[in-house]
Amino acid sequence: MKDTGKAEKMPMAAEDKLLAHAKGIVSQCDRCGTCLPVCPLFGARDVERSSARGKNAITRLLAEGGIEAKPEVLSAVDFCLLCKACTDTCPSKVRTDEAMIDVRQYLSERTGGAGAKYRLAGGLLKSRSLVGVAAGTLALLRKLGLAKLFPHGMVPEEYTRDHFLAAFAGPTALGTAAPPSGVNVTAATKVAYFHGCGMRMLFPAAAAQTLAIVGSTTTVMRKDNVCCGLPHLAHGMRKEFLALARKNIRLYEDADVVVSDCASCGGTLKHMADWFVADPAWKDRAAAFSAKVMDLSEYLGKVGYQPRRKVDAVLTYHDPCHLGRGQGIRRQSRELLALTGRFVEMAEADTCCSGAGSFHVDYPEIAARILAKKQANIERTGAAVVVTGCPGCLIQLSKAARLSGKFKAMHLSEVI
Amino acid sequence: MVAGEIRQKLIDIVGQDNVLESEIDRFGYSYDSSYVSLVSGNRPDVVVRPLTASEVSRVMAVAYEHAVPVTARGAASGRTGGSIPLSGGISLCLDRMTRIVELDEKNMMVTAEAGVRTIDLYNHCAAKGLFYPPDPASWKFSTIGGNVAENAGGMRAVKYGVTTNYVMGLEVVLADGTVLTLGGKAIKNVTGYDLKSLFTGSEGTLGIITRVTLRLITMPKKRGTLQVTFRSLDDGCATVHRMLQEGVVPAAAEIMDRVCLEAVARHKKTPLDAQVQASLVIEIDGDSDAELAAQAGRIEAVANQCNAVEVRLAGSQQESDEIWAVRRGLSSAVASLAPDRLGEDISVPRDAFPEVVRRIRAISEKYGLPIAVYGHAGDGNLHPSVLCNMGDPAEAERVHRAVDEIFAAALAVGGTLSGEHGIGITKRPYISRALGEAGVKALKAVKAALDPKGILNPGKIW
Repeated sequence: MKDTGKAEKMPMAAEDKLLAHAKGIVSQCDRCGTCLPVCPLFGARDVERSSARGKNAITRLLAEGGIEAKPEVLSAVDFCLLCKACTDTCPSKVRTDEAMIDVRQYLSERTGGAGAKYRLAGGLLKSRSLVGVAAGTLALLRKLGLAKLFPHGMVPEEYTRDHFLAAFAGPTALGTAAPPSGVNVTAATKVAYFHGCGMRMLFPAAAAQTLAIVGSTTTVMRKDNVCCGLPHLAHGMRKEFLALARKNIRLYEDADVVVSDCASCGGTLKHMADWFVADPAWKDRAAAFSAKVMDLSEYLGKVGYQPRRKVDAVLTYHDPCHLGRGQGIRRQSRELLALTGRFVEMAEADTCCSGAGSFHVDYPEIAARILAKKQANIERTGAAVVVTGCPGCLIQLSKAARLSGKFKAMHLSEVI
Repeated sequence: MVAGEIRQKLIDIVGQDNVLESEIDRFGYSYDSSYVSLVSGNRPDVVVRPLTASEVSRVMAVAYEHAVPVTARGAASGRTGGSIPLSGGISLCLDRMTRIVELDEKNMMVTAEAGVRTIDLYNHCAAKGLFYPPDPASWKFSTIGGNVAENAGGMRAVKYGVTTNYVMGLEVVLADGTVLTLGGKAIKNVTGYDLKSLFTGSEGTLGIITRVTLRLITMPKKRGTLQVTFRSLDDGCATVHRMLQEGVVPAAAEIMDRVCLEAVARHKKTPLDAQVQASLVIEIDGDSDAELAAQAGRIEAVANQCNAVEVRLAGSQQESDEIWAVRRGLSSAVASLAPDRLGEDISVPRDAFPEVVRRIRAISEKYGLPIAVYGHAGDGNLHPSVLCNMGDPAEAERVHRAVDEIFAAALAVGGTLSGEHGIGITKRPYISRALGEAGVKALKAVKAALDPKGILNPGKIW
């Protein structure tokens, strides 16, 4: 975007408001350092700029005119997982992730648009047909056994329910169907599925299991939804995010409940209303939409879903950032897993796995260091399977599974 | 500027990865948790991150040879600008020195490198039933080297003292790179000047602390919590004084005034009893439940003699956590009342606590600025927080005058500028008033003897 002329004409441009908003958030930061020990990036690369405090300070410096809007600043604020671990521990609850999203947007407009790779990825995810093509390509690569040739887990292996049952449905489980779920959904509740890009492209078998599970409780409405827009929002493409959001809001207006089996999509959709508060035409529609979004585990908890069968395996659970901290949902998946197998809690279950969007592609070494800690924590539980509820995490956990050889990584819907 | 030959020497000592030079990295080591502005331009020329005392020694030798300023830094959680480099040069960041060298259970002492986080040191000792008591509010993320360099305090000071009461030995690198070993494990030691105590609290101006040996005590087996509310702050203070006079020494006695309680009530959306003007949170510890019950009984009796509104003894860990959550959440609850908050750290004789709070109230009214007061009632260290908007120049001016008068009030009742945060940059203008010309001259003489070129943390304390 070459709109420097426009900026001159309009000194109070929209991007300045973004920066002012970010400043409002980061000026609540006392710089005490409480966030330092919990920031996964500071843990992997312990220099100040990696930490939440460091990025908040850079943002404040930018807002106070102490540094120019330049690519180095954008790369500093890009180096954030948006995992909210800092906010959780902060005495003042400074919303670093929100400030980073604002300032990325500001900088992408001031420094000539979002990075080319983010534009490319964003463009792909905007288009349903391109997402479909990508899904087909990935499936083909997997079938041909070529997936391993791709770097950084771009084509994760998918450990499916068939593999899982073959391995763990031991004598205790054989032949005994799980008791009926006792779900009590009124016929009037219209439940729709949100088919996120990650699930569609990378974990189609898990998505099919989600449909089967939700389908066992009600008739699922299928929609040809578009991307939730998080990748666009996170990397300075807010206009694209808002366009996608409007499409999705319109699409689900006839549903009562929107179930997402992707924590990142679900978190984004639930927070959708926040981005439309100043838009009178969409404010109420967005709020109504956000109010009906449910994570898969949340929905299953509400309807009292019972796992299809018990298995003889130790299971552990990784909290996706966008589910635990993002949506406050921690209990439901654990309860379902405890009903399915022998559930063991791992240490630091809610620490980010570094599967944040494209972070592991952008910073492979740092991501590998963060993932190694996660892998060690999983191994310490002795679990045969680590379960999660987000394709972003699943990419990383599958990588850890392959490196470890001691456990498999699976989506919740494949296990229960 | 640190360039050319000097730069290359630093890289040779600590390795390229541990020399940070980019604009954003230099900015990252330019601030701490004080209110010194981020745009002040206090950038180090270079950040150097040594791993060993030997590397520190070699870095100091280079700095000494070329007269490059050196500012030591741990986690930069200080409140007075101690780790902010005022004259460029080297930010010497010790956070890679994270080895706990030895836990000597027989002598009950622990030896650790400067960059060990205080919480890690605490946990390491606690696993063996040993207790390192000093607990500055930052103890979960600050480093032990920083705690010693600032002589950090904490809530437990009333019963257990502050950092210096536990320092047995130090390894210090002097300005010219000489490595000095001070003190040791001998409990009685009057051989020469007590230099370890001189370096404790020296704020990085006399040498670089690279290793500390700390004495430990046995971990109390039981802990209990009480919350007492009062119609006046005087009654709360009187309770603490009478407890101490009667020999009931709490492990912590934290007092909060009405402004604080209103902030917490608003933050947590809970109602506040109209007659309550102050609240005291007390921690007691001991070896048995019976001992705790006896202490609690005596505290309750004293509190009632002092007209307490309510005495609440936590019946469970959960209740105890709830009571402490109020105290711990105070900082953010108070901070959320205004765009800016200037937290001070004055310390007065214990019996002057109510008087200095009365004077602070008067200052608050005079300048039309809300001032929340909370602090360690048991040791006379209090933290008046001026709630303000420093973005408004006229208000900022009023704030500075109010802070000035708060310091004057502390000195007038026989107190001092800082109980546990240090002087650093932010309290420097007031040092002469607190110590007198002769006092400052003596400090300068010590400084000149140990740091003749003035390269260690220049611009601090006076």
